[in-house]
Amino acid sequence: MNRAIIVDNLVKNFEITEKGPGLTGAIKSLISPKKKEVHALRGVSFTIQPGELVGFIGPNGAGKTTTLKTLSGLLYPTSGFVEVLEFDPWERKPEFLKQISLVMGQKNQLWWDLPAMETFELNRAIYEIPTRSYQENLKELVELLDLEKLLETPVRKLSLGQRMRMELTAALLHKPKVLFLDEPTIGLDLIAQQKMRDFIYNYNSKYGATILLTSHNMDDLVDLARRVIVINEGQILFDGALEELVTKYAKEKIIKATLSKEDGIADIEKIGKVKKLAFPQVILSVPRAACAVAASELLQNFPVDDLTIEEIPIEDVIRKAFKGGLKR
Amino acid sequence: MKKYWGIFRISFQQEFAYRLNFVLWRVRNVFQILLTYFLWSTVFAGPGTQIFGYDRAKILTYVFAIMIVRALVFSARAMDVSRDIAQGDLSNYLLKPLSYLKYWFTRDVSSKVLNLIFAGAEFIILFLILRPPFFFQGDTVALLAFTASIILAIMIYFFILFLISSIPFWAPEIGWGSHFLVTVVIIEAFSGALFPINILPQGLQSFIMATPFPYLIYFPVQVYLGNIQGSALMGGLMVALAWTGVLWFSLKFIWQKGLKVYQAIGR
Repeated sequence: MNRAIIVDNLVKNFEITEKGPGLTGAIKSLISPKKKEVHALRGVSFTIQPGELVGFIGPNGAGKTTTLKTLSGLLYPTSGFVEVLEFDPWERKPEFLKQISLVMGQKNQLWWDLPAMETFELNRAIYEIPTRSYQENLKELVELLDLEKLLETPVRKLSLGQRMRMELTAALLHKPKVLFLDEPTIGLDLIAQQKMRDFIYNYNSKYGATILLTSHNMDDLVDLARRVIVINEGQILFDGALEELVTKYAKEKIIKATLSKEDGIADIEKIGKVKKLAFPQVILSVPRAACAVAASELLQNFPVDDLTIEEIPIEDVIRKAFKGGLKR
Repeated sequence: MKKYWGIFRISFQQEFAYRLNFVLWRVRNVFQILLTYFLWSTVFAGPGTQIFGYDRAKILTYVFAIMIVRALVFSARAMDVSRDIAQGDLSNYLLKPLSYLKYWFTRDVSSKVLNLIFAGAEFIILFLILRPPFFFQGDTVALLAFTASIILAIMIYFFILFLISSIPFWAPEIGWGSHFLVTVVIIEAFSGALFPINILPQGLQSFIMATPFPYLIYFPVQVYLGNIQGSALMGGLMVALAWTGVLWFSLKFIWQKGLKVYQAIGR
């Protein structure tokens, strides 16, 4: 098997009923429901190799979650081809389901009133995990995610961060080969986020698991994903290495300089677009191609103490992309 | 099979997580029985009163038999299915190598076992307090037929609940209202849980007997009491079996359609 996931020209439409505000709206929608078709995915195609860790980026409603749900067999594709581990996800064969997991940031599978341990035991039965490997997996996950002391606490008494780690444990007990993570760090504090990222990174490298994750958190993507797929309004805008996204779409570079004297500082505008000028620091934005020339001009004509050339921050690139600055 | 034993165990525990809730629900059941008992007791207060061919002893036996059959047939959890669909929690189950139908059936059975234990205890207590004339069936054939009719009743009720609970696939906001109409109004009235079907005019009776509802309560109770025998018994069991099959196939069909429009909402 050389492709873990194949998606070809996937289309998914939803039909939703619109309802006006208030009681009159409710009655109107009851008598003559106004149906509206929503195009969640408009012909999405990509393939993913086994062991790849790919990040999905896009604004709310772009189709990220819809894609993950289709790949895990929850949604029936309107048209197009989907294959995961050589299975058609929609058939939801037990052999397929035993090899995948979908973790959704805000949907929990844990039994609310009982300790998480009960859900784990139940999953052991449902996934038919042999006792030996169940115990090994559980021990490992509990240690890695630091959960020893919480196993007997009813789930409703856990904090969000603790619960997310429990969710992850429940989702990984059967050692899925393909893992779909929908916003795994949503609502977590910075330390918990970092823990979650370390864990995802390790799971990917240790078991060679294929991981597809969506996130609004740029740190998640910068830390974890070498490859990103940018999706907006149900269409893929970019698919490639994260650095490539930057070099391809960030037309400019950033020059940061520290000056020793304020003399003639106004002339600096001639070199590039001034983004910030607060003596002694200057931040300039210059076209990528003219970057070297601009830097040397700066060094020759101004009293420069220190100078660095940087890429535009990834957040800015992506923000620009969704504003329509990034076109195929 | 082991999967479903695990589910059985955990749902049993779940029921006990809210002990008070459960106890209150049982109290409600006891009140319902008392209400029905005193209602009919008053109607038949005069000595030798006979209404629709029922005397006091017969009607009271009917009331007590209902209590046990109710506990067996009507204690079900599958109405939660509509919420699972409307709120997208169904996704959690679809992601697992598990049959969602069997999952709920197992939860229902676990709920029934628990309720049967309590209903049995309540029955003994109420019986000792009220000392009603009660008829104990001793005939093996009648008892076997009763068991068969109960199993069919449980399946019919389960399938009806599941079918009603599938409506949110198409209309997510309708769940509660349809449950009220079907489980409270139609089932209560036509199943024989409120009054015996055979007090109704003949035409209406035949019509109701062709629907699946009287096979939930009325039919098993009558079989227990030995009022339905021979070819009428066989015929009744056949109708119940046919309904079980029809409902099962409809359910499979509806779910095939429903899952295709399922939106897995909630993020």
